[in-house]
Amino acid sequence: MPSGEVPAVPAPEVFLCGDDLVAAECADTRSAQALADHLRESGEWIECVAGIASCSAQFDLVKVTAADAAQRMMTALQTVPAARNVEAGLVDVPVCYGGDQGPDLDEVCRLLGMDRAAFIESHTGGEHCVDMLGFTPGFAFIGGFDAAREVPRRPQPRLRLAPGSIGIAGGRTGIYTLAGPGGWQIVGRTPLELFDAGREQPFLLRAGMRVRFVAISEAEFDARRTP
Amino acid sequence: MTLRILKPGLQTTVQAGPRTGQRHLGVPASGAADPLSLALANRLVGNAAFAPALETTLTGVKLRCDGMAFAAISGASAKVRLNGERAKRHRTLALADGDELEVGPAKAGARNYVAFAGGIVADEVLGSASTYLPAGFGGLQGRALRAGDALEVGPFDNAPDMLRTPKEFRPRATTSWALRACYGAEVDLLEKESRFDLFDTNFSIGNRADRMGLRLEGARFAVASGGRLASAPVFPGTIQCPEDGIPFLLSIDAQTIGGYPRVAQVARADRHLVGQLRPGDHVRLLWRDSDSAREELLAKHDYWREWLPQISAVI
Repeated sequence: MPSGEVPAVPAPEVFLCGDDLVAAECADTRSAQALADHLRESGEWIECVAGIASCSAQFDLVKVTAADAAQRMMTALQTVPAARNVEAGLVDVPVCYGGDQGPDLDEVCRLLGMDRAAFIESHTGGEHCVDMLGFTPGFAFIGGFDAAREVPRRPQPRLRLAPGSIGIAGGRTGIYTLAGPGGWQIVGRTPLELFDAGREQPFLLRAGMRVRFVAISEAEFDARRTP
Repeated sequence: MTLRILKPGLQTTVQAGPRTGQRHLGVPASGAADPLSLALANRLVGNAAFAPALETTLTGVKLRCDGMAFAAISGASAKVRLNGERAKRHRTLALADGDELEVGPAKAGARNYVAFAGGIVADEVLGSASTYLPAGFGGLQGRALRAGDALEVGPFDNAPDMLRTPKEFRPRATTSWALRACYGAEVDLLEKESRFDLFDTNFSIGNRADRMGLRLEGARFAVASGGRLASAPVFPGTIQCPEDGIPFLLSIDAQTIGGYPRVAQVARADRHLVGQLRPGDHVRLLWRDSDSAREELLAKHDYWREWLPQISAVI
């Protein structure tokens, strides 16, 4: 029978979330990412995954008890280097905004009280940062679009998005790497293949990379798309 | 030796071990949804536990051997026919050139594993030959098998011993399952009554059940997430509860990040059972803390080690 409480762990910001999973709360995505990287470098964990404001690590329950794992996580929190200013490079991501490629652009403009030109200027205006990859292989959560902080996800997810679709939600830009369902507001599409399992480097983007969106026309999109 | 698929069934894929260490890139585990049954089938044909094999879903598969082969089947309960004659699961089968092997519909459980001595030759992507359907990689061109597909079987040094899995090492598929589970990260978002009910409900598996996840129907849980939760890591075995109050259990193809409250986590010892759940099956969650879950995992490993020495790498 449940006794009503999750087993006690030594600090409020470290908690168990399964028999072989321990997690830590983090101030923001950058620090969650830094913690996940730090844990991964130790080689002691099976998986180290950052979320938006937390980091989970899976341990080998055969070799490690929950108390040991929680202790290791505590130690990692104390030894993690400050979120690195990764010089991981700056990637230009070409985007064809609106039309068939961006069916939610007008709705997003309406929510933000902007016209299309102002939206595109705002989205292409600054540098963004890849907060994390996740959900499906290579899906990029890209932070730094504060103008769209109040844009929610669609009430009903779309059932089939084209790979390369660029979505907006909660101040982030998301890039769908695979065809499939998705709930973000789709404002455009990139011809870049962000994920290709057959490439030597399957992932074009990595957490910590900086991204600049560059507006392209429908004709340029068609020309740049690999057949 | 070549396998020719005659009837592919609902969803037959090539599956091997999981992809590990890449969830931070968004790469799910995939691999056999029931890794214990995969290892048991491979054991009978002298393969490594996670050699690539066929995973059938509910309806089974029919294939022809072009060449001689050794095969074995483990998993859901189903009739097996060799050239139309009844054959047995849980033993090494010697197949001659032209033989037709058929795994019938699963009567209990969802998935069977058909292993061949030498293992199936498959695309190795990101460290595993397992098929991951949503992204279309691994296995045979990243897709489910179709009638007419030809699959190569790898070479093997010696003919395997003709074995039978001892009775006590044949998992019994059922329609009524108990899964040991620990609290999840956001169990606090369930109201107290709901938290109790989570471990006191006879759930039934909903119709939308696949390698990504299964719905646990039978009760509605009051969850106080306000619909806005920071996306957080999820894993196979994670049980999330969205605002509609109907929890779902993530399976082996689980996405890496989820936005719904994580209310429970199926214990490692029982995660392999998730791959055998089918629509309509009944499920109860049994609450454990991590320490008792660990003791039970070690005990389960001790039990299985006699037949599967590498059990701790399997489940």
